[in-house]
Amino acid sequence: MRRRSFAALAAGALGAPALAGCAPSAPAGSRATGDTLTIATTTDVVNFNPLVGNSRTDYWVTDLMYPRLLTIDADGNKRPCLATRYGYSDPRTGYYELRDDMRWSDGKPVTATDVAFTINVIKRDKPAGNTTFGLLANVTSAKAVSPTRVELRLSTPDAIVLREVGFWMTVVPAHVYGRVESVARFANTADWVGAGPYTLVSAAKGQAYTLERSGSYPFAPGGRPTLGRVVFRVYPDVNSEILALRSGEVDLIANTLPPAQVRILSRTNGISVRKVPGLGYAHMAYNMTRRPLDKLAVRQALAHAVDYGAIRRVVLQGQGVSTGSSPIPPTITAYADSRLTEYRFDPAYSRKLLRQAGFREDAHGRFAALNLRLIYSLQDAVTAQWVNMVASDAAKAGITVTLQGMDRNTYLAKTDAGDYDIYAGNFAIMDDPVTNMALTYLPKGAINYSKVDDPELTGIITKALVTTDAAGQHDLMAQAARIVRDNVYDNVVYLQNFYVAHGAAWTGFVAKPSELLTVVDPESLARVRKLR
Amino acid sequence: MPTALRFALRRLARALLTLWFAVTATFLLLRLLPGNPALAVANPNMTKADQQLLLHQYGLDQPLIVQYGKYLWQLVHGNLGVSFTQQVPVGDVLLNRLPWTLLLTGSALLVTIGVGIPLGVLAATRAGGALDRLVQLAGVVGQSLFVPSVGIFLLFAFGLWFRVLPIGGAYTPGTSGAAWYGDVLRHLILPCLSLTLLQIGSYVLTLRATLIDALGEDYCALARAKGLPNRSVVWKHALRNALLPTTTLVGLQLGFLVGGAVLTETIFAYPGVGRGIYEAVTQLDYPVLQGAFVLLAATVVVANMLTDLAYGLLDPRVRTS
Repeated sequence: MRRRSFAALAAGALGAPALAGCAPSAPAGSRATGDTLTIATTTDVVNFNPLVGNSRTDYWVTDLMYPRLLTIDADGNKRPCLATRYGYSDPRTGYYELRDDMRWSDGKPVTATDVAFTINVIKRDKPAGNTTFGLLANVTSAKAVSPTRVELRLSTPDAIVLREVGFWMTVVPAHVYGRVESVARFANTADWVGAGPYTLVSAAKGQAYTLERSGSYPFAPGGRPTLGRVVFRVYPDVNSEILALRSGEVDLIANTLPPAQVRILSRTNGISVRKVPGLGYAHMAYNMTRRPLDKLAVRQALAHAVDYGAIRRVVLQGQGVSTGSSPIPPTITAYADSRLTEYRFDPAYSRKLLRQAGFREDAHGRFAALNLRLIYSLQDAVTAQWVNMVASDAAKAGITVTLQGMDRNTYLAKTDAGDYDIYAGNFAIMDDPVTNMALTYLPKGAINYSKVDDPELTGIITKALVTTDAAGQHDLMAQAARIVRDNVYDNVVYLQNFYVAHGAAWTGFVAKPSELLTVVDPESLARVRKLR
Repeated sequence: MPTALRFALRRLARALLTLWFAVTATFLLLRLLPGNPALAVANPNMTKADQQLLLHQYGLDQPLIVQYGKYLWQLVHGNLGVSFTQQVPVGDVLLNRLPWTLLLTGSALLVTIGVGIPLGVLAATRAGGALDRLVQLAGVVGQSLFVPSVGIFLLFAFGLWFRVLPIGGAYTPGTSGAAWYGDVLRHLILPCLSLTLLQIGSYVLTLRATLIDALGEDYCALARAKGLPNRSVVWKHALRNALLPTTTLVGLQLGFLVGGAVLTETIFAYPGVGRGIYEAVTQLDYPVLQGAFVLLAATVVVANMLTDLAYGLLDPRVRTS
């Protein structure tokens, strides 16, 4: 009896791996010809439906399949992609003119019907996490008036909707997505139909996502994407990705590198490092619904008690640039105003401002009334470093800043509830100054973390939202940026330029601004090749 | 009713009660976490009204008791729900990952038992000697190790310095046919070694102690007096009795294995349930988290139940106690 019992136990232990070994099916070999570029990423594809998925890897993978109407160049200008032209035929009617040479991977042409369908279905089904949905607030409907022209009916004049929807919305095939009851619940897990340079052929969650070359792609050299296959492999963090790159397991790290790794990797044999312009910024928002942060002098004192240069030098290792304390990233050259200057680091001046505002120091030189709580996400390693410098610098001005680091979900909950004195964080992509100012500084803006409610600023932003004349809009944004800077409605600490690393055997990458596009944008991967 | 059947039914009832408790605790604990799933997937354009709409779609705007009732009803019908973020049934999400976790934990358990038992016997039969001391030292060190430190060290050593084993994943994309199975084994070595190193110490030390005791018992002295060779005394008489606590340890260690696999899978980018849990936590994907914890709890409960049953079979006194 005992012998049989132990044998059963041993058989169980043996059986588990045997069973498991049989269960995952071995993937079939690829028929694609040409080089394979293996890319490391730190997260899985959460959802293959580009109307729902909004994680970074979701964007990277689905962007290679689903076209956007517009893209962005290195100077932050929106430029044609699927759309060749866009504009307004009257204040309440916008249009996109489309190119006629793109096809879905099943052979059907990409037409205005697909674009109109995508806009209308987003409005109808409200897919969770969809970035475009909020941008379509003023769009009543979209209509394909010809195979290459889409018209959008607007409920009110909206000067930004075309370029923002054009940039953020991925176009899906109407003949595929039209068959599902609700795109909000469509997982799109198989039989992918795309119109990008590459199309998914297999997905193994937690492991790898394999795309193969589509037939043709107009933005590739000669109309044919250079790679046979693109494989995204999932690693737990950027340090594992670096190990994988150094060991030759992957060819490119899609995630941007931590500042400290840039110099090391750029000196490593067989590895090349490329710069990617940033399109967002790190900032601190002072909660103006809380005393004494409602006082301009206090916000100015805080702003002058930060050594911005030291943060960029020490934490970012010289990879950050000043925005001149403006909320418009210098990358967007058409809007950036070089006349704005950064708050000077001068703790003595901070003290003077506070004394003038009626605050008194105690025997230790501290302003007892200025004990402020700063929240930040512990998942954001760079911010976690510079907030320590902020607290240390503030102490020199007699201001106590208590740091409260927390996990991302707690941080989001506290931010949503306005439970902070100072919010420290990043805006990853501020691609359009008008949209971003509206979201950040209008009283009901979704990311108005400072709780700004300034009638003059509101008036300027509201006017910019309906001003289609480019020069007029630039002028309004310059005025708005100056008001934000002078009133310390936001304290922009730096714009970080990013770096990505790839095997030196690869060439042809095109770096596009922001962590989202980097060098894995479809236009870039359609022209990458291996050096022979 | 036969004693053995009554014993098995009692254990089954206890297992079901434990499972219900685990399900309820998981359900409540997840809802105590700060934040909510709508915030986790929110984008800057999302208004408060849109977030509320999302919570409504997820069914999270209903009273807690209603959510709990619906969840239990789903569960007894074998339905684990639909992932908030992936829009696919949780059962499918977990079934895609479970084989990898079974492969990893099963292999680790097998290697641990296969190496741990002979090592424990070796140490016990040479008690006080240099080998025994070395095994004891290694056992204590193994018990003190921390999953991430071991994992990262192994990655550096074998993945980067010697470059003989892969850095992450369960197989190299693109491999197929017979080569795929070899590739899976290569990818299994480091995570399996990592888990084995962490748990083998307990087996060795437990078995060593119980075997030394057993070897001092009268029945072993009698066996020796009867002229049985020492090998038979150790392996046929003493070891069988000494294995009882080790059998219990297997059940207990399964819980550790499952927990340890979460970290191990994360470090080695192994696509098992543990890695899925890590991702679901960041997205606050309640259905996936609930399903994964139910699965893990069920694994531990079933393993413990089997251990209890095995124990009962090994020692009849347990059945009647």
